[in-house]
Order: sequence, then structure tokens, then C-alpha cells
Amino acid sequence: MREVAAVGLGMHPWGKFKDRSLTQMCREAVEAALKDAGVAWREIEAVAAASSRFSGGKGWGLNGNDIVEEMGSTGVPVYNLSAGCAAGGNAFNIGYTLVASGLHDVVLVVGGEKMPKGFIQTSGVEEETDPEYLRQRCVGMPGPAFWAMLCRRRMQEHGTTEEQLARIAVKSHKVAKHNPNARFRKEFTLEEVLGSAMVSYPLRLFEICPVSDGAAAVVLCSAEQARRRTSNPVWVAASTVATARFDDGITRGLGGMVPPSGKTYHSEAALAVSKAFEQAGVGPADLDLVELQDNTVYYELAFPEEWGLCEPGEAERLLEEGETLPTGRLPINPSGGFLSFGEATTAMGVFQVCELGWQMRDQSGPRQVPGAKLALAQTLGLGGNGTAVIVKR
Amino acid sequence: MTTTKTVPVAEGLFSETVDGPRLLGSRCASCGTPYFPRSAVCHNPECRESKMEEASFGPRGCLWSCAIQNYPPPAPARYEEPYIPYALGMVDMPEGLRVLGRISTDDPESIQVGAEVELVLERLYLDENGDEVITWKFKPI
Repeated sequence: MREVAAVGLGMHPWGKFKDRSLTQMCREAVEAALKDAGVAWREIEAVAAASSRFSGGKGWGLNGNDIVEEMGSTGVPVYNLSAGCAAGGNAFNIGYTLVASGLHDVVLVVGGEKMPKGFIQTSGVEEETDPEYLRQRCVGMPGPAFWAMLCRRRMQEHGTTEEQLARIAVKSHKVAKHNPNARFRKEFTLEEVLGSAMVSYPLRLFEICPVSDGAAAVVLCSAEQARRRTSNPVWVAASTVATARFDDGITRGLGGMVPPSGKTYHSEAALAVSKAFEQAGVGPADLDLVELQDNTVYYELAFPEEWGLCEPGEAERLLEEGETLPTGRLPINPSGGFLSFGEATTAMGVFQVCELGWQMRDQSGPRQVPGAKLALAQTLGLGGNGTAVIVKR
Repeated sequence: MTTTKTVPVAEGLFSETVDGPRLLGSRCASCGTPYFPRSAVCHNPECRESKMEEASFGPRGCLWSCAIQNYPPPAPARYEEPYIPYALGMVDMPEGLRVLGRISTDDPESIQVGAEVELVLERLYLDENGDEVITWKFKPI
């Protein structure tokens, strides 16, 4: 496999944009990435795009085709990747593979989405053979209640407090204030977070990411192309995709088996991350920062432990000691995370790579992790999809 | 005056037996994996040969974790007006099944992780025909 570099990073801000079309937003992100790379649209040899079920794509998830038509139909191959909320990470992996394999030298990865208002709805499939339908129909357990249940288990095992959960939201907004692309750029006090509406005990409104509109794009190229075009390429040390294991301890339907040994939760994410460490030839201790999928504050506590970035039960202490801030020992989501951006579900994997890239180039302003040289990003999507990326400078 | 009928929220998931309520599923005789709902084949990648048998689960279990649904859930969940927050959770049953379910309680905030629970079949909501729609729930013992 060849070395792959990210040479162009582009983002449309996250938020709610009633008067902007998804095409406009994607165009802005793609143009920014091309300009950043010094690459002309005609030079793009292939496009890997995240498929959305909520917007664009002609109702078939053909979001990459929309972008090619908008930018100018050059006849390039387009790959539309569907993986729920992991679609952006999945598209990135295909873009990476196209360059790493030697098939293409310059590839565009893009994810953009406009989300309907409110909590993410179920598939709309009303059949008793559909496990998600049965879960909602028979039990009535939307996503936030599911996260709340995982969080409650953690409270039982590690003594996590409601105040600690709120502190994570306070931390996210404290750094997001400095991110021009974040949707929520206002600091919140602990009291304000604790005073926000209870969505699903123990999780409150400000502790759960809302849905947003957003778009991001990355230009990937071979090492030879990268050295010709830029003096500060961001090297992709690893890009991986995984799916959930059968013995995962979190049932995705109505029921599953009690896991035979130990805790294997979110096995798709843990597998993607461990494969990424292996591919990059690095370990958790080498990381300077992490962008992880914080649909809720709970994940900032659970994921670092599940991936071996800290010891079980240690995450709360790292939080309270400020070690997860950009200036700390284990900076988590210095972008402000999903909590401050809101989730444009299929764009998030590409958003994360842009954020990591700016960190590697020392371009992150007040949210910069000093001297960051190696960083990890991770997504998790419906269907048991997980992805991970490790970049280095 | 009409009499209230009871209808299950979905077919084939539970039944009232002479020994009390049970969840209806299956189990692979070759690797022992339990399934709920029923599965036609075993999906365990470590299993050498799928040998599915009918199995029923219940009535006892232990609450692995729980949460409260503080706001009215979106469709296809249904609820009665005025909306009253309910508790739900994941229960480990001694048969090796980890299963989701509502928790039967008037006081959702009193529910504790680790509680011993038993399976009950109770009303989920009253439908437009005035029929009681029934689901499985777990009741703290």
C-alpha cells in the first residue's frame, strides 16, 4: 500500500440553514478543500461520498453524484457509501483505499447533510421482522433512552455523577467557543447544563447532540503528489472500517445473549480503533488528541476506556483534572465535538478528519493542542458500523 | 357497553402459560445461543451447525440497567394522553438472554440497577377501538 496524504481540508459551518441548499453547502466545502489543496476540480480522479437518507442523493443516497453534477460532470467514478452515522468515515476509508492501492492519485472525499428537525426518527419500516420497529413499538426506547441506559450502568459501576456528566458538556462548549464552524459557540455554566430539560434520566438536553446541517470535504493524494503540492501534508497513518461482533454486550434489537466474558460494548468502534493502532504501528499512549463520536456526553467517558486510552473508571478523574481539554494529557474533542456542532450524521466522519488535519497543521487557533503530531478519529453508525482514522504530521 | 378486548402489540413474542408469562424465542441446540424474537437459523459465527429449537424465557431476571423516557416517544411507539414518563431497561435472564423491556412501576425514579424483576404482561396503551394493547414488562420483585 502507498502512503496517503490529506492535502485539502474544507468545511461549511454546522448549523441550521433554512435558506441554503445541500448542494450549495457541499459546493462550498468542496471548493474550500480544492483551494486548500491547490487542486482543480478537473484533476479529481474519483469521488467517495457519504450517502444520506435524509437529504439530497435523489432519494437513493447518490450524494456523490449530486456533487459531481454540481461541480461539473467530468466522468469520474463516484462511490456512494452508506453506513448510517459512520458513512463519512466509511467514505473516507474508500477514498483512502483508492489512493493507497495505487488506483488513483487524487481523490475527493465528501459528506454533507441537512437533517430534519427533532430527534432522529426510525427507518419508517413498519414490519414485525424489523428489530428497530419492534424495539420502538413494543418497548418505546428512542436513541436517547438507550444512551441513558448505558450511562446509568456506568453510574452504577464507576459512581459517575450527574454533575460529572454536565461537566463534559461545559468542557465541549468551552472549546467550541473558539471554533468558527461550530453551531453552538456559547459557553454554558454547570448550573445551566444541570438546569436543562431532562430528556431521558440521567441525560439532559444539553448533554445530547442535536441534529444539524453541515458539509465537509477532504482531498487525498499520493505521497508524490502531496510533496509536489504542499509543504505541510497531513499523513493518513491508518483508516479502518469494522462491524459489530456477535458477542457484543449491547443488544441492537430486542434481545441478545448475555456476553460470555467481560465487557464488549460498541465492538465495531473498538475493533476499528484497535485495527487503526495496528495499521499505524502506534499505541494509545502515542496519541496527542482524539475526536470521538459524542452523540452524548457518556461516550467521552466510555470510549477512551473501551479503547485502552485510559484505565476503567479513570475517565471521570481525567475530566475533573482538565486532562481532556486541549491543554491536557488526553485532549478529547477539541473541536467541540458533536455536542457543539450537532450531528449532520453522514458528514461527521469527514468533519473529524478536517478537524484532525487543522490540528496537525497548527491551524486550530485557541483550541489547538500544543505540538499535536498524532491524532485519532472514530465514528459509529446504525447497523453496527464503526470506522477509525489516525493522522500524523 | 363494549367489552375490552386485549391484543398483543406484536404476534408471537410472548404468551401466558400455565406457569405464568413467558417470552417466546429460540435457542441453538448446538452452541446454546438464545434468540428473542425467534430466529430461523443460528447467527453465531463460532457455531458449527445451526440447530434451532423453540425456547421460552422467564419469568425471573436481573436489571442490567435502566433509564426513564421523560418525553413522549416518537412513532412507531404509542402512548396514552396525558403522557406519563415511564421506566425501561435491559434485563439479564438466567437462560442467558439479555432483553429490553418496559419496567412496570408507578415510580420510575425508584428503579435501581441490579434489581430483581419478573416478567409480566401488561397494558401498553388503549387503542382507537378501545382494545387494550399488551406488551411484556418487567416488574421489580
